[in-house]
Amino acid sequence: MATLKDIRARIDSTKNTQQITKAMKLVSAAKLRKAQNNIVAMRPYALGIKSVIADIAITQKISHPLMEAKGEIRKVLLVVMTSDRGLCGGFNGNISKFAETYLAENKSKYEKIDFFFIGRRGHDFFVKRGVTPIGYHSKLDKDISYDLAAHVADKLLKQYLSGSYDEVRMIYNEFKSAITQTVACETLIPIGIDNTSFSEKDNIQEFAVDLIFEPSPQKIVEQLLIKHFDLQVYRCMSESVAAEHGARMTAMESASNNARDMIASLTLTYNKARQEKITSQLIEITSGAEALR
Amino acid sequence: MFKLTFLTPERKLVVDQEVEMVIVPGELGEIQILKGHAPLITTLSTGILKWKLKSEDQVKSAVISWGYCEVFPAGVRLLVNLADFANEINVEENQKIIKDSEARLANEFMNDLNWESVQRELARARAGLQLVNYPGA
Repeated sequence: MATLKDIRARIDSTKNTQQITKAMKLVSAAKLRKAQNNIVAMRPYALGIKSVIADIAITQKISHPLMEAKGEIRKVLLVVMTSDRGLCGGFNGNISKFAETYLAENKSKYEKIDFFFIGRRGHDFFVKRGVTPIGYHSKLDKDISYDLAAHVADKLLKQYLSGSYDEVRMIYNEFKSAITQTVACETLIPIGIDNTSFSEKDNIQEFAVDLIFEPSPQKIVEQLLIKHFDLQVYRCMSESVAAEHGARMTAMESASNNARDMIASLTLTYNKARQEKITSQLIEITSGAEALR
Repeated sequence: MFKLTFLTPERKLVVDQEVEMVIVPGELGEIQILKGHAPLITTLSTGILKWKLKSEDQVKSAVISWGYCEVFPAGVRLLVNLADFANEINVEENQKIIKDSEARLANEFMNDLNWESVQRELARARAGLQLVNYPGA
């Protein structure tokens, strides 16, 4: 049986923990809002660039190596995106597990599967299991900027264009809402531009008229494709960061609740023990008085 | 109606606002766009973008780096990588960037890609200084 002092110490330490988890939750909530704004701000740009590529590529009948799927896929580059820090529930675990399963299932199918890590957690997980990555980026949470995304995208693009890989896939946490994230696995290159966005548009005639291209359409499409790819990487990063803060918020919320329950049950035990002590002391006094009579 | 939309991946700067004139730093030179301009698609280089809103007298300007511009009868749509307004530009830092990149270009042996990125930074810093020093020009 713990003494009163022990129980009091436990209550105090649980209270401290609760304060920390509460603070972390608030911080995550603020960061989440910022990350969400980021995603919203990027959307019109992303849609604009995608529709124009489709427009030009179709009306000018242009194809580009980045858009064409290779006949047989033998070498795959997996980009695994996690966070740098833990304390966010299953956020990183889900990604690592997914990537590990993917590797185990497809090992025999492809000639080569290589890894590129964004975020410390995934990197550490796989390095411990003896995987040597071809690239690694961390410190995502501080500042994800378009610049950083473009830098990463550039590296990936070079790997693809040099012929080292036939396909580049990204595994990341997709941001569904503040409380749900799902693991997504997307093919980044070859870039798939769906033509549906084009046929739905009514300005097809408008587009078909004599357009002035400066420089040539081929060159413009090439530049736009690269930008589109940068943007995809940036989008995945933003989603992952938003999802991370969402996950941490939920995790901290439930940690705060657990701490609250714990404090309640500890306080109960404490009071019981206190009353027991008082009762036994009273009995001692009364029985002492009784004996003297 | 002749409208301007001007976006970066991180910010929405101008959305569907009526303009009288836009001057963009095209890849092959500066282009002034007025209402009724022929449909045009061009990529943009680093430089100063200017536009005059119909509701305001002043011509506004910003430094942009790589981007793309689409002109239709309905208006102009600009998608650019980065946009700096005059009040966001740090003169001293830009001067330092110019000095550093000029030194690097003169003394360092570098591959095409680095060369290009240094050039881009240099152009951005120069355009920034120009914007701050000659706001009306």
